[in-house]
This record gives sequence, C-alpha cells and structure tokens, in this order.
Amino acid sequence: MGDFNGLRIALSSLYAQQKAIQVTGQNIANVNTEGYSRQRVDMAADSGPVTPAVYSRYPGPGSGVLTGDTTRIRDQFLDLRSYQEHAVDAGLKESQSVLSRVELAFDEPSDDGLSKLISTFLSGFDDVANNPDDMAARAQLVEQGKTLAAGFTQLDAALATQRSSSIAELDSLVGEVNNAAAQIGQLNQNITSAINNGFSPNELMDQRDQLVAQLAEQAGITIQNGDAGQVNVFIGGTALVRGTQVSPLRVDVGTDPAQTVRVTWAADNYPAGVSGTAGGLLSAVNDVIPRYRAGLAAVAQQLATDVNAIHQTGYDLNGNQGLPFFTTDPSGNVIVNPAIVADPKLVAASASPTATRDGSVAQQIAELTGVGDAYQQLVVRLGVESQAVNRRVDVQASIVQHVDQAKEATSGVNLDEEMTNMLQFQHAYDAAARFMTAVDQTLDTLINSTGLVGRG
Amino acid sequence: MSSAFRITQRSVGLSSLSGLQAALSRLQATQSKLASGKAISRPSDSPTGTMSALRLRTSIDRADQFDRNAADGLARLGTTDNALTDGLSTLREVRDAVVQGANSSLSQTDREALAAQVDGLRQSLLAVANTEYLKQPIFAGTAGTAQAYDAAGTYLGDTGVSTRTIAPGVKVAVNTPGQDAFGPAGNDVFKVLSDISNDLRTNPGNLTTTDLANLDSAYVTMQNALSSVGSRYHQIEIMQARNQANQLDTKSQLSDVEGVDLPAATVDLQMQEVAYQAALGATARAIQPSLVDFLK
Repeated sequence: MGDFNGLRIALSSLYAQQKAIQVTGQNIANVNTEGYSRQRVDMAADSGPVTPAVYSRYPGPGSGVLTGDTTRIRDQFLDLRSYQEHAVDAGLKESQSVLSRVELAFDEPSDDGLSKLISTFLSGFDDVANNPDDMAARAQLVEQGKTLAAGFTQLDAALATQRSSSIAELDSLVGEVNNAAAQIGQLNQNITSAINNGFSPNELMDQRDQLVAQLAEQAGITIQNGDAGQVNVFIGGTALVRGTQVSPLRVDVGTDPAQTVRVTWAADNYPAGVSGTAGGLLSAVNDVIPRYRAGLAAVAQQLATDVNAIHQTGYDLNGNQGLPFFTTDPSGNVIVNPAIVADPKLVAASASPTATRDGSVAQQIAELTGVGDAYQQLVVRLGVESQAVNRRVDVQASIVQHVDQAKEATSGVNLDEEMTNMLQFQHAYDAAARFMTAVDQTLDTLINSTGLVGRG
Repeated sequence: MSSAFRITQRSVGLSSLSGLQAALSRLQATQSKLASGKAISRPSDSPTGTMSALRLRTSIDRADQFDRNAADGLARLGTTDNALTDGLSTLREVRDAVVQGANSSLSQTDREALAAQVDGLRQSLLAVANTEYLKQPIFAGTAGTAQAYDAAGTYLGDTGVSTRTIAPGVKVAVNTPGQDAFGPAGNDVFKVLSDISNDLRTNPGNLTTTDLANLDSAYVTMQNALSSVGSRYHQIEIMQARNQANQLDTKSQLSDVEGVDLPAATVDLQMQEVAYQAALGATARAIQPSLVDFLK
C-alpha cells in the first residue's frame, strides 16, 4: 500500500461524485422531455489487484470507487407492452373517428336525413291517390322521388369521398413510417459508432425509442435487440429495420372490383401485417365504409324493387300499364325513371286503365314499410358498431394510461428523488474533499514534522 | 393506480391532465346536450333510442298524411252529403207534384204545368248529380269524365269506389258512385222522373199505380246513400280525432326518447362544473411543490 493511495481514493471519489451530480443535473434538465429515461452512474468499489502473489499482496482497504457507464433506467418488457397497447389504441381511435364521420354523413335521427325523405316520398303517393288526376300532386311526387334518389346518391358519394381521403391519409402515414424507419436505421448506426468510440449513446437511444414508439402507434411493431446497441423493428414478423437495413412499405390499391387496399413491402409487394393507425385505416377503407355503402345500396335497390313492383301493376293517366318508377343510371345509382320525370302523367296510380280517378295503386305504394325498416336497421347497426368501438376506446385508453404510468414510474424523473440524490452526492463530494485534506495533513505531518527530534 | 408505483412529477402532471380532460369532455357533452336540446344527436349515443326515434318520426309523418287523407275524405263526403240532401228535397217536391197530379179534378193544362215543374226538378236533380269537388264529379265513380250524367240522364261514370287511408290498414270509401245514389243505370231516378213527366201529360192513371212506388223506391235509395255518407263521415271524424290524439302522444314519446331531460341535464352540468373546478384546484396544488421549494 503506497503512501499516496489515500489521495487516489479521494480523487476517484471526487470524480465519481462530480459525474453523479452532472447526471443528476441532466435528469433535472430533462424532467419534462418526452421519452427521456432517467440515468444513473454505475459506481463500484475498487478493490485493488485481484490476482494474489507471494510478494505482491494487497492488504489495504481498496483503491476507491470505479465510475462505470451512465445507464438508462428502462424496462424493456414494459416497452414491448406499451408498443402493443398503443398500437391497439391507435387502431381503435382510427376506427372510432371513421365511424363517427360515417354517422355524421348519415345525419340521423334528424328532420333532414334519408328516413324523413323516404317517408315524405311515400306519403306523396297518398297525395296522388287523393287527387289522381291532379298534375300538381303528381309533379310534387316526382320531385320528392328525385330528392330521395339524390339523397341516396349524395350519401353514397360522401362515403366514397371518406374512403378516398382515408386512402390518402394511409398513403401519407406509410410515408411517415418509412421516414421513421430510415431514421431508426441511421440512429442504429450512430449508436454503434458511439459505443465503439466510447461515447454515451443514451440520448441517441432515447431518440430512437421515441421513433419506435411512434412506429408502434402508426403501424404496430415488435422489436428485438440487435448487436452493439442496435434494435431490429418488425411488422407482422418481417423486418422493417434490421440493424441499418431498412425495407420500406408502400400502399397498393388493388385492381379488383372492390379496389381492396393493402399495405405491402415495396421490395416484393407482399402484404405487410400492419396494425395501429394503418390497421384502422385499412379496416375503414376495406371493411367499414364499403359495408355501409353496400347496405345503403341495398336499401336503395329495395326501394326501387318494392315501388316498381306495385307501380308496374297500375295504369297511368293515359290508360297505359305503369313503367318502372325507379331505374338505375349508368353509374349504378337509383334514379326516377326519366320518362316519368318528363311526364308526371305516367305515374301509375290507378288499378284500371279507364278509371283515371282511381288511386288504389298509389295507396298501396304509400303503405310500403319495408324500405323504411331496412334503412332504420342500417342506421341502428351503425349506431351499435360505433357505440361498441367507443366503449373499447375508453377501455383501451385506461389500459394505455396504466402502462404509460408504469413506464413513467420506471423511467421518469422524480424531482424530489433527484434533489435528494444531489444532496447525497454533494455531501459525498464534500466528505471526499475533507478526506483528501485529512490525508494531506497526515502526509504533512510525516514530511514536515517527522524526524525533527531535538531540533529545538 | 397502484401505490407500489414510483411517482414522478411528470406522471402526476399527465394523470392530472387526463383527469382534467375527462372532466372537461363530460362537461362539454352535457353542455352540447343542453344547447341542442337533444339527448340523441347521432346513432351511437343510443342505438335503441335511435331505433325508437326513427320509428316515431316515421309514424308521425304517416299520421300527418292520414290527417291530410281524412281531411280530403271529409270534404268529399261533406259535399256529397249536401248534394244528396238537396236531391232528397227535390224528390219530395216531385212527390208533391205527383200526388197533386193524381187528383182527377185537375185539368190537362194544370197537369201540363205540373209536368213542366217536374221537368225543371229533373234538371236541378241532374245538376245535383253532377256536383263537383275540385272539378271532379263526385258521383262519377273513379272514371275520368267531366260529368257524371249527361243532359239526357245517361250515366257516364263507372262503379269504382275511391277510398282514403285514414289509419294504418283502415280505408274508408269517400265517394258514392251514381248508381248507389240515383239507382241502376237505365232504371234510375232520372228515368222515373221522365216517366212521371210523360204520365202527367199523357197517362195520369199510371201516377198512382207505378210512378209513386218507383219514386218512393228512388227516394229510399237516395236516403240510404245519404245515411251511408253520414256514417262514413262520422267514422272518419272519429278516426281523425283518435289520430290527432295519437299524434300528440307520439310527439311526446319522441321528445321523451330524443329530447334532453332539462332538469336532469342542468343538475348534471352543475355537478360537472363543480367536479371540474375541484379537479383544477387539486391539480394546481399537486403540481406546484417539490423538494426544491424546501431546500436552501
């Protein structure tokens, strides 16, 4: 044990406490930084040489403290859980917003939704039945029919617009995902070179984990630790980022009749198993919106079929057999037969070719209830689906909050704790300095005051 | 929140924020209910309520139409009632003339005068039979003719019955085809009247033997038609009153389903305001202090 060992112990302690104070400062500085993980200096007692030898033994107390790496305090399993729950949450929120926009488009229950248009139109037949040869009543009925048909067409167009805007949203989302993946690849590389060069990669890792969390919400991912501080990011089991290699995604709008939209790997066009916001958007464009459009088209078709079936048994004011009241235009929308629009006399209200003041056929049409019922069921289905998603969003929000809290509990900065640590390290620094003074005084005694016996 | 968690300033901040946002969003939901007066503004607010609201709205629309149908029916039956009442009084005048004409002390000139009177009455009865409602002859069945009877008394209409739907599944006939009021075509009241006029001039003996009986039977036919019109009028009136009462009922049901319960919503709003303010106060206290405030 050398004489100056005490000074070395004191010095190692001064270094260690100083670094710890700096790290505490860094933690306090980042108390509100999103995604920051608190850091700790790993300290270990330096026990001196550990290889014993006959003449080189070390009987001393050790040689101070070893200042190790500065590590991030983070629970990887909580991270994984958080990625999963956030992906589910983002997917549900997307579905919720799509369904709520569909509900807005339907605008029910109200005085100007399709339900009202249907009952107004059917009532119009009663007005014709009351005055079968009154051209005003007929013209009004035809107008009501046109309004109803336009109502169906407009609602369908609104849903179609929602679908195409969702596809555009998906497109830009996939762009963001590719961008984030590229940044993660770059950060992986920077982290490896930081580690190789002996710098602290902690802040780079925090940045990367932020991007990974963003990817989890946007597309639903799993991660795996790679070599040299890198992470690999997977979507549906296929690597989006492997080390520094990135495989970008693309949006593929199918050429099939339903124009199914897929998110695929740009390299081989093979579908990627995305969830999160992208999953929510995919279900909106491939399932939710097409389903309500089809439901609406079925109601419109039922309207045409039911009304036509009765209308064609009747006779118009000219004594001719009734034409179909509704036809379809080239784009498949239900419209009022243009011949009837041109001449409302062709509304077939009478059950007999000669009895022009008979309105019994029009009366039968006025009493149709199937169309209204089918439409109401469609609206109620929408309400039930939307309500169910709203509830799941609420439940998922509390799960996510819980997981986030657990993560924050592990990685977050507590100011009280940092202040306590700061006091602790400050006092330790003071004590180390005092220890150094003590050693100094011992040496002083040894050097300046020893062997002076009798000097006077 | 489990107490085993390590709590940080940020987690206190975040959970306070999410609590505040939840309180504010509840406050906003209640406020928008109060502002719009509607408890259901979209189907997901209450799918079953939406179903009821849609059904009730449809049945209100339908009942409005029933009301219009009933009003149209009442107007037609009212016009028919007036016409037939006129017709019956005309027939009573004819009967007076017949009874008078059967008196053997009457001279030929007197009978000529009576016959002319009967001819005139026949003309006015024809005018009654051609009574119109909205330019449609009410006794012409469902035929699209301009007149029910021509000047010679020939029936131009058909036997079609025109009905009005006045309640779900309830149809009431609102017209009276000519034959039901004036007798079968070819053997109707106009034929009876022209026979009477002829017999007054040429064959007074027939007046008591056949003409009077024919006239009485025509009178009974018309009277039956009138009483049928009266009873249908009454039926529609009853159904209309019931329909209107139902309508009020349905509207109040709709406002029960769709409308907001004002007192309850106001109390809710008050309570949520208090809760929100309490949350704000608590957050202000919880976020401020840390050890920093107490160390020198």
